[in-house]
Amino acid sequence: MNALDALVQPDRVHRSIYTDADVFNAEMSKVFGGAWVYLAHESQVPDPNDFLASRMGLRPLIITRDSDGGLHALFNRCAHRASIVCQAECGSARRFQCSYHGWTYSNRGDLVNVPYPEGYPADFHKAGHGLAQVPRLGTYRGLIFGTLNLDAPSLAEWLGPAGPLIDGFVDRSPSGRIAVRNCQRMIYRGNWKLAWDNAGDGLHPTFAHRSFVILNERQHGGARSLSQFKASPDDTGMYGADLGNGHMFVDQRPGLHQSFWETQRPVPGREWYAAQIEQACGDDAADVLEVAPGSMINLSIFPNLLIKGNHFETVDPVSVAETRLHTWMVAAEGAPDEVNVLRMRIAEDFPSLGNPDDLELFERCQEGLAIAEVEWVDMSKGLGHDAEEVSADGVVRAPVTYEGPMRGYLRAWLELMSSDVKLTTAAAGEVTCEVAA
Amino acid sequence: MAPQAASPVDDRLYQRLVDLLSAGRPDPGPGHTELRPAVEQALHHEARLLDDRCYRDWLERFTDDCVYWVPLDPDGDPRGQVSYLLDDRRRMEDRIGLLETGWAHAQEPPSRTCRIVSNTEAWPLDGGETLARCSTVVWEHRKDRLTPFASRNDYVFASLGDEWSIRFKIVRLVDSRGDVRKFSFVL
Repeated sequence: MNALDALVQPDRVHRSIYTDADVFNAEMSKVFGGAWVYLAHESQVPDPNDFLASRMGLRPLIITRDSDGGLHALFNRCAHRASIVCQAECGSARRFQCSYHGWTYSNRGDLVNVPYPEGYPADFHKAGHGLAQVPRLGTYRGLIFGTLNLDAPSLAEWLGPAGPLIDGFVDRSPSGRIAVRNCQRMIYRGNWKLAWDNAGDGLHPTFAHRSFVILNERQHGGARSLSQFKASPDDTGMYGADLGNGHMFVDQRPGLHQSFWETQRPVPGREWYAAQIEQACGDDAADVLEVAPGSMINLSIFPNLLIKGNHFETVDPVSVAETRLHTWMVAAEGAPDEVNVLRMRIAEDFPSLGNPDDLELFERCQEGLAIAEVEWVDMSKGLGHDAEEVSADGVVRAPVTYEGPMRGYLRAWLELMSSDVKLTTAAAGEVTCEVAA
Repeated sequence: MAPQAASPVDDRLYQRLVDLLSAGRPDPGPGHTELRPAVEQALHHEARLLDDRCYRDWLERFTDDCVYWVPLDPDGDPRGQVSYLLDDRRRMEDRIGLLETGWAHAQEPPSRTCRIVSNTEAWPLDGGETLARCSTVVWEHRKDRLTPFASRNDYVFASLGDEWSIRFKIVRLVDSRGDVRKFSFVL
């Protein structure tokens, strides 16, 4: 890899950032290690001794809550011969025993037992052979992040103006808390940044999701889901924003002409569940129902969390040309059960009817990127245009079809990739966990 | 825009789906062999309609209160969990209507499929319904890839014979907890 600066230019990026294995390997340490990476949500490990499997880039992790309620992100790797020690997706466990030779760890990562302890060198101490772990953790409204970079800014600084937007998403729940439930797991043959480009891209829905827009008009009429992208989306007031540090925001709310509930395509159970809510909530029913549809925002927390609709999409690189996308259902705590049942059906609506077209297009992009002689990917729309506004907190806002958010995250990417990041791991007891909100 | 009936999905219907998934435990014993020819007739006919992408003809074979469900968790309650899809008739029509717009990129070019239906068993239910279970592999070819989708399926038939009709179709993909390739054809 050479001259990264030349690969990210103001109006275009070089194909190799999507195709070069050396770039990918550098990303797996400098970005998915050097930056704050989203790991899990506290609601997935609600009780003492709960655990959840996760990843940081290519590194398998176990997110644990110890018996005192403390959070840990343990590398799922036996300190002895490297076998992963936890096979389950989630559960409750005080101990993790490696099946290979029986080394046993606490859920804080301490090595608590080595079979047949005689025969080890005199200077072998269990204290030095625990599960390595992520040295810095941080939480924000229940979202758990981790970094291997002790010099990274605080989590609050890293999130910056994205923090209050996370608040807006979480505070749609009457209790101010959300619960992350199960997930759809999809895989596509393309670079992880194709999903990232897409998340801040308000130009694509008109074309990529044309089938969805036409369908809704034909079958259901009126201003239904995504109809705001049918024509001239920039005349609707919808905007995209570069939030700094690679975070992006697309706000579709100004494009709506009626409530979220009225805009929402009909999903299974719509009538019966709405009737239950109307009966139980009386005059408040309209406000209660408003929590069921998606948030009408796309909030992208660099480098791996896309908050869309009512779900968290995690972007999980596998190789330079293969990526896992996991779509996690988010329930609104404190809302009536009927609202959350509707959220389940809504959360599988666009993901099953619209996402396949996105994934298809990511794969088509990766196919086109194979041509070495055609080197550049254009991202110039909106560049230098006077419709871009910069607010006091540095957020750059522009009409929704402009490509500023993409240029913004790639500047942040370039900064991380060009930096001299030192990554470290920690032993049990050496971890810091900051609560940003 | 065609007027559409309200969704039949309510709490009772969800409970019936949950009960159906657990109906295999404890073992209900061997299937009733006398039901098998009629069930296989319907399953093989359905497979052909789908492989031929005759989606409207396929939809005609479902009752008005039908559900087509592809769960993620084979033991999950759809009231508390998201599925790949859980469609009533209205959303099945949407799924087919999406393909008919001509702009569903994930089906351009369309998948060619060949499904193998096997291990068919059937039991009578109250009210003239029939429960059928089978194993299915849908081989999908699209662009340069041949992809198998293996599943254990549960059906509740409202009627059998030449006028067979389906009330519930549940497709339990064996890899629903793993990373699945996107699919936008009907399983």
